[in-house]
Amino acid sequence: MSANDIFLQLVTGLQLGAIYALIALGLTLIFGTLGVVNFAHGALYVIAIYAATVIGDHFGFAVTVVLVPLVLFVVGIIMERGLIQYFYDRPDTDQILVTFGLALVVQEGAKAIFGANNIPYPVPDWGKGQMLFYGSGTTIPNVPHFQGMPHIWVPFIDGMLFYPSWRIILIAVSLLAIGGLFALLQFTRFGLVVRAGMRDSEMLRFLGVNITARFAIVFGLGALIAGVAGVFGAPITQVTPEVGMNLLVPSFLVVVIGGMGSLAGALLAAVLLGLALSFTAEYSSVQQIIIYLVAVVVLLVRPRGLLGKKGVFE
Amino acid sequence: MNRAESKRQFWLREAIIISAFTVVVFAMPLWLTWIGGYEALATKIIIFAIFTLGFDILLGFTGYLSFGHAAFFGTSAYVTGLVFVHWTNEILVALGASLVVTIVLALVLGFLTLRRTGIYFAVLTLAFAQMLYAAALSIFQDWTGGDNGLTMSAQPHLLNIRMDGLNVFYLTAVVVVIGYIVARQIRRSPFGLMLRSIKENQTRLQYTGVNVMAYKMMAFLISGIYAGIAGWLMVVYEPYVATEFLHWSLSGDVVIMSVIGGVNTLLGPMIGAAFMMYFENVVQAFIGELWLLILGAIFVLIVIFLPGGFVDGWRRIRKALGYIVPSRRHNVPDSPESMRKRREHSERGSAAGWE
Amino acid sequence: MNQNTRQYLLDVQGVSKRFSGVQALSNVDLQVPEGSVHAIIGPNGAGKSTLLNVLIGSIEADEGKVLFDGRDLRGVRPYDIIQRGIARVFQTPQIFPALNLLENVAIARLAKRDGKFAMRVWERLGPGNEVTDEAAEILSQVSLGDLVYESAQNLSRGDKRRLELAICLAAHPKLLLLDEPTAGMSRHDTNRTVELLQRIAEQGMTKIVIEHDMHVVFSLAEQVTVMAQGQVIASGPPSEVKGDPKVIEAYLGGGPKE
Repeated sequence: MSANDIFLQLVTGLQLGAIYALIALGLTLIFGTLGVVNFAHGALYVIAIYAATVIGDHFGFAVTVVLVPLVLFVVGIIMERGLIQYFYDRPDTDQILVTFGLALVVQEGAKAIFGANNIPYPVPDWGKGQMLFYGSGTTIPNVPHFQGMPHIWVPFIDGMLFYPSWRIILIAVSLLAIGGLFALLQFTRFGLVVRAGMRDSEMLRFLGVNITARFAIVFGLGALIAGVAGVFGAPITQVTPEVGMNLLVPSFLVVVIGGMGSLAGALLAAVLLGLALSFTAEYSSVQQIIIYLVAVVVLLVRPRGLLGKKGVFE
Repeated sequence: MNRAESKRQFWLREAIIISAFTVVVFAMPLWLTWIGGYEALATKIIIFAIFTLGFDILLGFTGYLSFGHAAFFGTSAYVTGLVFVHWTNEILVALGASLVVTIVLALVLGFLTLRRTGIYFAVLTLAFAQMLYAAALSIFQDWTGGDNGLTMSAQPHLLNIRMDGLNVFYLTAVVVVIGYIVARQIRRSPFGLMLRSIKENQTRLQYTGVNVMAYKMMAFLISGIYAGIAGWLMVVYEPYVATEFLHWSLSGDVVIMSVIGGVNTLLGPMIGAAFMMYFENVVQAFIGELWLLILGAIFVLIVIFLPGGFVDGWRRIRKALGYIVPSRRHNVPDSPESMRKRREHSERGSAAGWE
Repeated sequence: MNQNTRQYLLDVQGVSKRFSGVQALSNVDLQVPEGSVHAIIGPNGAGKSTLLNVLIGSIEADEGKVLFDGRDLRGVRPYDIIQRGIARVFQTPQIFPALNLLENVAIARLAKRDGKFAMRVWERLGPGNEVTDEAAEILSQVSLGDLVYESAQNLSRGDKRRLELAICLAAHPKLLLLDEPTAGMSRHDTNRTVELLQRIAEQGMTKIVIEHDMHVVFSLAEQVTVMAQGQVIASGPPSEVKGDPKVIEAYLGGGPKE
């Protein structure tokens, strides 16, 4: 395997893992703070991609990037305040049932409004096309076609490599979003309360911290991240009603492998999954089930997940 | 009332219930056409009734929500199909093979998933079932026919009897009646009580000297067997195995049916199965593609406002109309004494649920 | 007298347990003869509940031996430990809410009769079944006989505690562990509980009681063990322990409920 091959597969791995990472982070954030397993998280992604398509068609991409995550944030808050909060006192399985039902309704609703088939996504012009990666000692031919592409220098590759721009943009945006989330949690007071709540929400309540008001915001945050994932992931996952549930199952596994309630774990597991998918692309039949195999192995060897807390579910 | 009398009363009541059920089931091809259905739909309804009946023993009794039971249905269907293609048309052989595979699968899946809490369990069952689905489409596609499903030109036989049309219907009807009798007996047995207590308080059960995991495994196994039998019947009914038989949406359908009908009532999930299949096959003719959207909305509304499902709804209507509704959810039926007390305490609103 | 040469029903020797940096139990000894009532007292955080957890098998001790009826309990699963004859009454009543009282107690009877797992599918629970009869009998012993068909979740808090006691008694345990049985009770309820426990004591059941209420300790216990910060600081008859300076010092922060 040449350095070029490795580089390409690495990038592909990151790109594959990016969407899972964003969804899984939202899932584990919500689960870790609220204790809710949100089967409707895929539905949030579905809302995002259709909203992005509609808004993008009418108002352009710049508006979409700002508006869709905000819309999703509001949707998340409404969901939490309007529905989820009534299920905190009910048996755990009830919240799974209601979010599953919601996911079904959203999926069928999208199908009813937009049809079951894939609809085209308005990708901005600067996002189309490819990027050029070049290694040391390579000169780029002075051809308009090449000169027009963004150039990125990568030391250890040989010659020139091309890669679809949008996928690189996805990786970059995901890193930004994830970085933003971690910064929010690490450096703000709100983040401190959320992190404390993830470790021990009962203690927080006991200390008089009003955690329930923050629940809505946390849910909104999770939805917002799904919104970002939707805006940038839509061209890759396609815009169809089923894509939500199709993403949800692997994302759940990512959360489980990483450790339910662990943000770093979800991120790590998503990256690992993306890399695993990328490096096994040649063996397509194995690739399909690779995530499940990894999950089984991890769960047998380390039931709490890679970075999960002990005793959470055992 | 003395022991012998109450025993007689009990068996009489049982006989009436089972008889009524049998009549309704066997007459289904008839009464279904009165409400816009068709004969073949009756067979499909009963197949799913068998599926949900066993599912209720897991979800309704122990409270464990599995999103992966399509694994049993689909695997059994594929095994049945493979037997028909490669071995013999005799459905009993296929049944034997299916049961063996189903039991092994249930033991493995149960071991991997039942140690966890309810939430983790739901996610894991979903995941492992999807794994089987993905495997059937990829590494096993030479056996399963991949995307196209498993087609065959087989005419299944039960001993000498051709299994087509009404014959298949009678077979499924017999199976569901037997399945119902067995499920009822499980419910009123000590084993059934143990299962139902798992949903209530696993900790207390542990610390009363009960090996909770063993009981959970049995419940999972029994529900898997019912699902496997349903899968077998599906291929006997229509010799074709679709990939959808392993897909999570089928698992989801079973959950929806059970909840809409009313969990922990045995009858409820079967009613839910009939309702959903009727909706899909008959109502769809009128409202087209929207049927699943409407059904999904009904499901959500029931989870929020009427978690006991249709059965609970019926009970509440009767209560509102002034009937005293005995609380038969308990294994121990009410004595006349306690019924009197219940009338006195009627505003307290004690135990919900009706068998 | 049985053939073992053991003197004590429960013999705890040198048990220690550490939880991520905190020494919850430190070289704890406890000897309880059969038929006696033994109280464990101490300020909060002394390790009393931890010790019960070790006895019941939900936690495993790092060091030391726990001998019950002559057999080591190390590594034995909780349900097996209960099958050997220990029962635990929890601080917050642990019952089966949606089931009625008869069913609640029947479960314990069945666990005793059939063991930790049995496929008893061909039996019918209902009128005329000996298990339900026995359950009714036990419920009347704890004064819940009128409510047998009531749903457990509808009981008052006090009745729930008695139900839990009934569930534990239904297994006819050799050793009963009670975790603050009178916590949060009024004086009246406390007295009734003490009477009930005394009645049970007369039947010769061995009991370990964790308590804060000194009145209860004095009414029931023959022996008292005082714990503080994971260690046993005194042990003996109540009258002796009461005057022990170490005990008084340990309580200076909290003070027992008199």
